[in-house]
Amino acid sequence: MKDAVANQPANTPGETMQKDPVGGLLQVEHLRTVFRQGRREVKAVDGISFSVNPGETLAIVGESGSGKSMTAMSLLRLIPSPPGEIIDGDVFFGGRNLLDMSEDELRDVRGNEIAMIFQEPMTSLNPVLTVRQQLAEPMRVHRKVKEEDIEARCLDLLRQVRIPDPETRLDAYPHQFSGGMRQRVMIAMALACEPRLLIADEPTTALDVTVQAQILELLKDLTRQHGSSMILITHDLGVVARYADRINVMYAGRIVESGTAREIFEQPRHPYTLGLINSMPRLDASEKARLLPIEGQPPDLGNLPTGCAFHPRCPFAVDQCRQQDPPLEPYQGHHLKACWVNVDD
Amino acid sequence: MTDTPLLEVRNLKVHFKLPGSLLRPRSGGSVKAVDGVSFHLKRGETLGLVGESGCGKSTTGMAVLRMTPVTDGEIHIDGEDITHLKGRALRPLRRRMQMIYQDPFGALDPRMRVLDIIGEPLKVHKLVTGRKAYRQEVLRLMELVGLLPDMCERYPHEFSGGQRQRIGIARALAAQPDVIICDEPVSALDVSIQAQIINLLKDLQEELGLTYLFVAHDLAVVRHICDRVMVMYLGHVVEVADSEALYTNPQHPYTQALMSAIPIPDPRAESRREVDPSIEGEVPSPVNPPSGCPFHPRCKHATEVCSRVAPTLRETTDGHAVSCHLYEPETEAESLVRVASIA
Repeated sequence: MKDAVANQPANTPGETMQKDPVGGLLQVEHLRTVFRQGRREVKAVDGISFSVNPGETLAIVGESGSGKSMTAMSLLRLIPSPPGEIIDGDVFFGGRNLLDMSEDELRDVRGNEIAMIFQEPMTSLNPVLTVRQQLAEPMRVHRKVKEEDIEARCLDLLRQVRIPDPETRLDAYPHQFSGGMRQRVMIAMALACEPRLLIADEPTTALDVTVQAQILELLKDLTRQHGSSMILITHDLGVVARYADRINVMYAGRIVESGTAREIFEQPRHPYTLGLINSMPRLDASEKARLLPIEGQPPDLGNLPTGCAFHPRCPFAVDQCRQQDPPLEPYQGHHLKACWVNVDD
Repeated sequence: MTDTPLLEVRNLKVHFKLPGSLLRPRSGGSVKAVDGVSFHLKRGETLGLVGESGCGKSTTGMAVLRMTPVTDGEIHIDGEDITHLKGRALRPLRRRMQMIYQDPFGALDPRMRVLDIIGEPLKVHKLVTGRKAYRQEVLRLMELVGLLPDMCERYPHEFSGGQRQRIGIARALAAQPDVIICDEPVSALDVSIQAQIINLLKDLQEELGLTYLFVAHDLAVVRHICDRVMVMYLGHVVEVADSEALYTNPQHPYTQALMSAIPIPDPRAESRREVDPSIEGEVPSPVNPPSGCPFHPRCKHATEVCSRVAPTLRETTDGHAVSCHLYEPETEAESLVRVASIA
C-alpha cells in the first residue's frame, strides 16, 4: 500500500491500489459455477477472473441474479451441491488452490484466513448459543487460544466492534441484540482469527441507513487496522463509491467492467455500468431530476441471449454484439471492459 | 384546484396494545406507533413520508387507508371526516384511495391471471359493464403502465419483479383513485428497474393528475419524486418542508444525520465527505420511547430540556416546519426555570 500511495498524488480510495494483479492475495481464474435443474442449466458464474491485492477493498457490484453472491460462495466452496457445481476454474489463495483442497484443509481456511459476513445477521448467528460461545468457537478451533485467555479476547473483540458494555453483553443471546448490534457481533466473529481476507456479502442491506453508515465505517477502520483485504458485495453504488478501492461490475454471471473506483464512476466504459450510474437516484441531484433507467428486464440466466448478454437492453448495441460474446479486455492499464463498442463520455 | 386539501390528517394517533402477562392482562402497555401526526396533501402533489424502520411511516399510510384502527385524531378527505366510517360506508372511500405495495411478489395472488388481478377493482366497484368493456379497460391499463396487452392471460410467477410492480400499479389505477399510497414501491427492486418505476409513477401523475403519499426509507429516491417531504422518527414528525428546502437546508439534527449517512455514488465527492459520527446508537424501542424529544439520546445538540420536554412542530420559514428545541424561542417560564436551576 505504501508504494502505491507514493506514486499516486491523490490519496483517494480509487487510486491507492494499482498493483500488478499477479502478486495478489487471492487470484480467481476462469471460475465457472452452474446450477442444474432437470435439463436446465443456469450459469450463475460464467468464467470470471479477478484478483484481490493485500490490504485492498474490492467491490463486486451487480443487480440480483448477476452472480455476485454466487462468486463469493464459490470462493469458499459454499455452493449447495447439488444443484450447484463449480465446473471449472482455480481459486489461488496464498499460493494454494482452494478448489483442489480436501474438506479438512478447507475448514482450516474458512473462518480463519478467510472469513465471511452475511447479509442477514439473525439467520447467521446461532439463536441457542450466547455471544461468548459463538465468539470463542473460531478461536478454539483455529487458534488453540488458551481457555483462560478466551474471555479477554472476546471482550477485546466486542470493544473493537464498539458494542457498549461488553462485559454484560458477552453472555447475552442473539435475540437480545438489535439488528445493527447483531451485525457487529458477526463482524467480531469474522475478525476473531484476524483473517487476511474478509468477504462481506451485502453486510448492511438489512439495516437502516444510519446504522449502515456506522457498520461500514467500522468495517473500513478495522480492515485498515488489521491490514486485511475485503471483498465487498453490494448492489448499492453509493456504498461502493465510498468504500471500494477497485470495482468489478457483474452482469449475468460475467464481469463486464473492472477498474478503480474513480475509473468506474468517472469514465464508465461499459454501457451497463453507465446505465447503472445514470439510473441511481442521488441525494445531491437537482430537484426532481429525471432518472435514466436501463430499459427492459434482466435476462433469464437459463436462457441467455446470444452474443453479449446485455445487448437486448443496450442502447449502443451493434450487429457484432448480437453474434459474438465480447471478452473482458484492457481498455487502459488495469481498467478492463467487455464490450465491442467504444462508449464515449 | 381548490384550497381545501384533498387529504388532511389531524393529530393522528395509532397505538397498539401489547399483550400483558396471564395474571395481569392489562399490564402490557402500548406501542405508540404513530403519536400525534398532522399533515395535508394537496391535489396533484406528492408528499414523501420518510424515516427508518419503526418510525411509523407505514402505519400512518395504513391508518389513512383505514386499514388499521385509529386511536385518536381525524382524517378528512375533501373536507369529509372519514375517521369513523364503518362497513359499507367505507367502500366508496376504498375506491378513492388505493395502495401500491412494497413486495411485488407477495402482493399479487399467484393463482389469478393478470387480467383478473388488474380487473378486480373494476368488478368490486362496478366500474364497467360487460365482458368486452372489462377486457378493454384492463388492456388499456396494461398499456398505460408499459405491459404488453398479450401478457394478460399469464400468471404472476411469469413476470419479473419490475413487471409485477407494474401490474400492482395498474391494479391501483383501475379504481380511478384520488390518492395513491405508495408503501416503499421501489425498495424491493434493482436499481435499473427502480428508475423505470419511479419514472412511470411520475409520468402517470402528470397524465392523470394523481396524488401520491409516498412512503419510503430512501431519501435519495424520495428526492426524485416528491414535492414535499415529511421526516418521521418514533411516531413523531420531526421536520416537514418543500423538497428543495429540506434537501438544501435540513434543520432537524435527525434529518441532517440521515442525509449524512447516505453515500453519494461519486468517489471524488465521497473522499471529501465526512460521515457525521455524531449520530450513534440505534432507534430506541417504541415500546419504551425516551422522554421528552424522542431523538435526544442520539442527538449531539441535546440539552437538559430535550430529555424533559417534547418539542412541538413549528414553522421556521414559510412551509418549513421543524420539531426541535434548537429552533424554539425560549418562553419566559422556561428561562425562569433555567435560571433557577443554574442558581
